[in-house]
Amino acid sequence: MLDDFNFRIIFEYLPLFLTGLRNTFFISIVSIMLALMTGTIACACRISSIKLLKYPAIAYIEIIRSTPLLVQIYFLYFGLPTLGLRVPEIQTGIIALMLNSGAYIAEIIRAGITSVDDGQIEAGVSSGLNYFQRMRFIILPQALGATVPPLLGQAIVLVKDSALLSLISVMELTRCGQTMTSERFMPTEAFLTVAFFYMCIYFCLKSLADWSQKKLIFREAY
Amino acid sequence: MIEFKHVNKWFGKLHVLNDVNLNIAEGEVLVICGPSGSGKSTLIRCINRLEPIQRGEIIVDGVPVHDKKTNLTKLRADIGFVFQQFHLYPHMTVLQNVMLAPVNVKKMSAAAAEEIAREKLIQVGLTDKAGAYPIQLSGGQQQRVAIARGLAMSPKIMLFDEPTSALDPEMIGEVLDVMVNLVSEGMTMCVVTHEMGFARKVADRVLFMDFGKIIETGRPTEFFDNPQTLRAADFISKILTH
Repeated sequence: MLDDFNFRIIFEYLPLFLTGLRNTFFISIVSIMLALMTGTIACACRISSIKLLKYPAIAYIEIIRSTPLLVQIYFLYFGLPTLGLRVPEIQTGIIALMLNSGAYIAEIIRAGITSVDDGQIEAGVSSGLNYFQRMRFIILPQALGATVPPLLGQAIVLVKDSALLSLISVMELTRCGQTMTSERFMPTEAFLTVAFFYMCIYFCLKSLADWSQKKLIFREAY
Repeated sequence: MIEFKHVNKWFGKLHVLNDVNLNIAEGEVLVICGPSGSGKSTLIRCINRLEPIQRGEIIVDGVPVHDKKTNLTKLRADIGFVFQQFHLYPHMTVLQNVMLAPVNVKKMSAAAAEEIAREKLIQVGLTDKAGAYPIQLSGGQQQRVAIARGLAMSPKIMLFDEPTSALDPEMIGEVLDVMVNLVSEGMTMCVVTHEMGFARKVADRVLFMDFGKIIETGRPTEFFDNPQTLRAADFISKILTH
């Protein structure tokens, strides 16, 4: 099978792939940052006792989690212009990824918060600490530690989900593979290269996750 | 100091506190016992409003606990609470656990809070553990830290909810010793416990509950040696026969 595998063409297309890699990287970083903000705000609303905040947050989270990302991307790509908003593809893609991951991140943070033992909260209550003090000193330090691994997991998912942006002609990694395939008709070479670059990003994020396991989570003290 | 007036509480249909009337004097040590599910934990959890009540009134040091206008922070700062499962904050050192409320609720300076915290750690016999994390301590040590955490707020009342029930037998003594010391300092205490030795030694009064009602109260010797009700006699025989 590898007899007719053409390495030369990969090198020929390397500048294109590097552009794709750069775009995928840029889109992922920006999206994950925005998704973290969206998710934190959505989570704060979700656990709030104020109904005007709580129910819209539930609606947002449930709508996103119950529909495919591709549908959300198409909805924004074709839907926003009909609403009179002309947004370039790359921004549309970032908005879609932000909204999508934001919903999952909201649930990840909420899981972290609810994982803190009720007894500790009661201990805080009975020593007179108010809601914000309990959040600040008891709940969040533990919840955030516990959410770091699943958040990095979500970041990895987001990087791979960004491949779907190829369908709205954003020039990211997968789109580069498609371009090379249609120009030279060499899909094996094209998508193996694409896969290789995704793996590189994945292993970078994974080593970050492993490092954070040791560093960021509160030291369980030995 | 603590006054229950016709207190009623329901969990759904379950009547957990049934017309409870009770007066606890300043400096009194009250031991509450009774079968599981009889409402004894709920009773003391109402004193600092960890639980709401549906009818009646609880007055602590002149303050109606369940009144909407009551300053809960102030009320709770004056009442120490020790839980069966300790509930220390696992991400903080022993010293930080004890200092947290004095610094944030009483707005003490860190230095002043640390001084008090260290003093309380001496009192519970854990001077050398200030820098340790809860996970490094035995159950008995954790519970003593929890007591120090309560004491650091200089409370007027200490409430104990089965403080030795989650401990290995050989660690019960060290926790009870700390509590006995507190008694000798004149602290007002309500203790839910089945430790007969402790009750006999230091309690001013034993209160026996069943089905949310106070069935019997009396001096410990009278209660244990000569219970007035069948229900109490049955309960005492059960906890003594093993």
